[in-house]
Amino acid sequence: MPKLIIDDREIEVATGTKVIEAAAQLGISIPRFCYHPALGSVGACRVCAVKVLEGPAKGIQMSCMLEAVDGMQVSTADREAVEFRRYVIEWLMMNHPHDCPVCDEGGHCLLQDMTVSGGHGLRRFPGKKRTYPDQDLGPLVQHEMNRCIHCYRCARFYQQFCGYRDLGVLGIGNRTYFGRTAGGRLESPFSGNLSDICPTGVFTDKPSRFIGRRWDYQRTPTVCIHCSLGCHAVTSVRYRQVARQEARMSAAVNGWFLCDRGRYGFFYASRADRPRQAAIKGETAGMEEALAHARSRLEALAPAAVAVIGSPRSSTEVLALTERAARLRGWRGPAFFADVGAALKVKAAVSRLEAGLAVSLGEIDQADFILIVGADPINEAPMLALALRQAAQKGAGVWVVDPRPVSLPFEFAHIPTAPKALGAVLGRLLRKSIEPAGLDGPAARFHASLPGDPASGPELPARAAELLAASRRPIIVCGTGIVAAEWVELAADAALLLRAAQKKAGLFYVLAEANAFAAGLLTQLDSTTDRVLKAAAEGDIQALVLVENDPFATFPDRRLLEQALARIELLIVLDYLDTPASRRAHVFLPTQTLYESGGIFINQEGRVQYSAAAFAGGTPVRETGGRDHPPRVYGSGLPGAAPQPAGQLVARLAGEEIPIDIRAQREYFSEQASRLAGLPDTERLPPDGLRLALRNISAERFKSMLPPVPAAESDDIEIILTERTFGTEELSTYSACLETLEDETFAGVSRQDAEALGIRDGDRIAIRTENGAVELAARVCDNMAAGAMMIPRLRRLPWQTLGKSIRRRDIRKA
Amino acid sequence: MIDMDLQTWIIGYGVLILKLGAVLLFLLLMAAYLVLVERKLLGRIQVRYGPNRAGKYGLLQPFADTIKMMTKEDIVPDAADRIIFLLSPAVVAITALLMFAVIPFGPDITVYGRRVPLVVTDINVGLLFIFALSSLGVYGAALGGWSSNSKYSLLGGIRGAAQMVSYELALGLSLIPVVMEAGSFSLVEIVNAQAELPFMLLEPVAFAIFFISAMAEIKRIPFDLPEAENELGAGFHTEYSGMRFGLFFLGEYVHMQVLGGLIAVFFLGGWRGPLLPGPVWLALKIVLVCLVMIWIRGTLPRLRYDQLMNLGWKVLIPAALLNVVFTGARLLW
Amino acid sequence: MRVDLIDKEPSGPIQAVWEGARAIAAGFALTLKHLFRKPITEEYPEFKRPLPSRTRARIVLTRDPDGGERCVACYLCSAVCPVSCISMQSAEREDGRRYAAWFRINFARCIYCGLCEEACPTSSIQLTPMFETCERDILKLVYEKEDLLVNHGGKDPDYNFYKHAGVVTAIGGKGEHAGEDQPVNVRSNMP
Repeated sequence: MPKLIIDDREIEVATGTKVIEAAAQLGISIPRFCYHPALGSVGACRVCAVKVLEGPAKGIQMSCMLEAVDGMQVSTADREAVEFRRYVIEWLMMNHPHDCPVCDEGGHCLLQDMTVSGGHGLRRFPGKKRTYPDQDLGPLVQHEMNRCIHCYRCARFYQQFCGYRDLGVLGIGNRTYFGRTAGGRLESPFSGNLSDICPTGVFTDKPSRFIGRRWDYQRTPTVCIHCSLGCHAVTSVRYRQVARQEARMSAAVNGWFLCDRGRYGFFYASRADRPRQAAIKGETAGMEEALAHARSRLEALAPAAVAVIGSPRSSTEVLALTERAARLRGWRGPAFFADVGAALKVKAAVSRLEAGLAVSLGEIDQADFILIVGADPINEAPMLALALRQAAQKGAGVWVVDPRPVSLPFEFAHIPTAPKALGAVLGRLLRKSIEPAGLDGPAARFHASLPGDPASGPELPARAAELLAASRRPIIVCGTGIVAAEWVELAADAALLLRAAQKKAGLFYVLAEANAFAAGLLTQLDSTTDRVLKAAAEGDIQALVLVENDPFATFPDRRLLEQALARIELLIVLDYLDTPASRRAHVFLPTQTLYESGGIFINQEGRVQYSAAAFAGGTPVRETGGRDHPPRVYGSGLPGAAPQPAGQLVARLAGEEIPIDIRAQREYFSEQASRLAGLPDTERLPPDGLRLALRNISAERFKSMLPPVPAAESDDIEIILTERTFGTEELSTYSACLETLEDETFAGVSRQDAEALGIRDGDRIAIRTENGAVELAARVCDNMAAGAMMIPRLRRLPWQTLGKSIRRRDIRKA
Repeated sequence: MIDMDLQTWIIGYGVLILKLGAVLLFLLLMAAYLVLVERKLLGRIQVRYGPNRAGKYGLLQPFADTIKMMTKEDIVPDAADRIIFLLSPAVVAITALLMFAVIPFGPDITVYGRRVPLVVTDINVGLLFIFALSSLGVYGAALGGWSSNSKYSLLGGIRGAAQMVSYELALGLSLIPVVMEAGSFSLVEIVNAQAELPFMLLEPVAFAIFFISAMAEIKRIPFDLPEAENELGAGFHTEYSGMRFGLFFLGEYVHMQVLGGLIAVFFLGGWRGPLLPGPVWLALKIVLVCLVMIWIRGTLPRLRYDQLMNLGWKVLIPAALLNVVFTGARLLW
Repeated sequence: MRVDLIDKEPSGPIQAVWEGARAIAAGFALTLKHLFRKPITEEYPEFKRPLPSRTRARIVLTRDPDGGERCVACYLCSAVCPVSCISMQSAEREDGRRYAAWFRINFARCIYCGLCEEACPTSSIQLTPMFETCERDILKLVYEKEDLLVNHGGKDPDYNFYKHAGVVTAIGGKGEHAGEDQPVNVRSNMP
């Protein structure tokens, strides 16, 4: 532990700490351009110069390259150092264009801050300024190379940190260029971070271009709800428009960065077509009128004839109030999940995440072996892929057991496995890599119940078992999309077994939606969307209340949905999106987005996080004024502020007239979900959230049973509905800037199946279904399990008509 | 006889009402134009024009001001003691106006064979009446300040009360030599006693003390501590608006004229003067005193509170007492 | 601390009274003298004082020599405005030029401090000597861009921001602005 003196103040830091970090611990901010805590040091910009008064190398040194050693004495304010930095800034500014007024970075530009604080004002160099051609880097990132100061942060982030190769350094010397070899869309789903990481305005957010300046934004700490990871973000609002979202540093969750889905997915909140008026049968109505109408219609019906469907994208407040409303009135539901299977998986994940076993996203990079079962990180939860890459960079082996052609931005091993065999592969791997010798009681019995290698069939790669056996801190990442509920349990038991084998094992589930964890806590297995819709189709249910749920986007059986909607007499939809369901509603009630109401979200590891309300709502000034100036009508009240928090509306639908405050909502959570009781007030939640203290679940340990792999497999091809980074997560599909990034519709088939069916890559295939044929482009994948077809849940693809499996003869070339 | 009595009675009252009307009209009109004159003169002293927009040379300014004050909202603060708050401006204005009742403005004249004294009422203790009313006037300021329930008003009111109580002593004492010279408390008698020589020449010390303490009594600069606007907002009338404020204002300027009248009566020979008729002489003397007071306002700064008290208690009162002794001695020998 | 206003300390009470009386008399003489001086007042509506061109009053948005709107809606004026009377929305023209989609100054709030003019990087916002902008309806004092735009360059007639900015607009591409080199050829191998 070296002890050193910086600016006459002593500090003791960990061995290996750089001087710039040691100074930061003292609260001294040394100027920097190339140094970034997540990227480390390269010493390229020379602006972090300090003077070493006492130490191994005296004189001017770069504090980001200089390791703190005992007895060192450093001055940041020494005249020589200050002058050195001033000259550095002056020559960095030599070619910097005179365009701060028209640059979106102005106002939060590191270069601008350093130039002003360094005292540089007038350019003394009489020569000409260097210019660069710019590139079109796609819909998210704006490129303006003239502004570059060659700090290399972008290239290091893009290539080293994220593992994508299409943006990098070109040219030499004074011509050094940061861009792609040819213009075009950036491939990385983390490209938006370039605008945060760039210390000046070379990369700026294209969708937020010219909306406002940092100082004009109402900036609020929020939580991203575009997947279950719950990454931290800062949301900027201006003139009632959600304008920009950037990553908020969180050591426990997302670190410094945010994926593009989370960064640019917010545009649904300020869409021009967002419904802001209540409507009765499509006719605009006042909120109170519509509410009264809906209530009187609901009261005329028997409670058992009313069903409520909620959604795991809602905040915990909304979920809890929906659940309470249904319970008080005796309505059916609320259904939060499409079917029992989905509900069971989430419930299993929720109940098996015990303290000590669960790892956070931030802890993943400490693993030395990661086994991913049935998850596709880059598509389901992109930031997980980034965390996995950091672990892989540190030497962890990453093994993916999945039927899909998973791709990750680093080297990993993939065992393409049919969905039905996922559990068996996991079991075999565990059995092979763990010696039963040191195990006791239940762990030993569980180990004994695991299957060995079958006599026939492909051998498991021995390397995987070796690595797992040798690992000290393995982590099992388990998806909940394509795996069965049993495998979810098995993953937890597998982690426990590794624990029993003296490893510091961790467990990490990937859930389907932002608040699936809370929905899992509150859901009942007897009310799922499919059951409710079946009952509606049979005429047992006359009224449906959809709370922030669009079954057209989420429910996998379109025919059942249509049948149910045709049969019911009252459809009440509460939502903030212009969805097919809200357009068909008999009574539509507009609700507030997360940015207006705020809310608690529980991420996939049970971390309770509060996303604060960013603004009061209302139609953006941009809409009320058109392109022109805002209307010159002055008065109290906001235009378009009719939407109310969905939880309140549901409670009032159920007949509770009192406005429900936050404290009361909290009591409602604890009524139902005792695990949510005792949470501190939202204002007192720690910045990184609070992981739920899960009750003791020792009774459930090692109870998972491995059903035998069905020997007589049917010849049908199983449909695997999968997520894509862009285009399948419901909210982000309402972001116009992400539309062009969505994948083309396609059907993924393994090479084996393709050969059997006579399909080549790129062929159009027609799939015959009960509802007519669906035509798609085939994508033949090498690293894909046979017997399965991968269908992305893209909006343009009628995946809801395909069912669970298709017969081979129903697939033919178009 | 009865007819005669009735006639006498009716004529007596008619004349009285005529005199009252004339005096009231004169006082109010003078007060209004005194404001204009003050503003104009102060302006000129400060090398500017003063009001010159309403009418030629701003001659209609008093009417503009009156209309403005009449039409302004009459605000009573929520926390004020309502009744006292509403009454105190009237107290100030009424006591000021009443004081003029005993000031003679000319020699007796004969109308239709009747002797009509040119004074509203000649009471033999006129001087005491003046003192009584001027003491009552304190209530207007003190109660107005107190009832507003505002710190500035209260401070102004307290200052006003303290200042007036202090200077009333000097005021009273300074007039004793005058009474000794005239041998009467009646103002008519005092004027008559100056037929040959105005008392100003006989009693210069008494004149000076009276002038100074009378200015303090009516809160004129340099003794305007109760309304010191740069410390107290507007002092005791901070919370007043509209015509109620106007009444305070009116009271102040009527006071100025009363003071002019008193100085004329006590020291300048009252209505007596060559060539011109008595009321004209009195009016001239009043105007002269008022002009001097405006000049003083344009020249002197406000006294500090301790200076004010020092001057009152340590200079003016002893000086007035000594003056009484000296006058007595002079009259005896 | 005592501050003596009279040069010499009076030697006795009589002299003190004398000095005091003299000082007072001097004061009265001075005010009396002023009473007969001609007032120095300039009477406003009849006489309008010619104002220097840098007087700070009504704000205008000027144009560059080519006639284009100078304002790039950089938000610096609205940021520096101590009374927050300036608001705007930036937007982009087809050629990449940044401009104000709308620009509003609330003159009912403006204190004419001139900080906006000082902050303006394009010489767009300028204060003029025109100060007679009173209105009976306060909303008429809220000026929009069309009310603010003038057809000249004001105090800085020659400056054209986009000729110096380095961003690609109709005015110039890369390397075509003042003091710029031709764009770098990244693929060149020449030293």
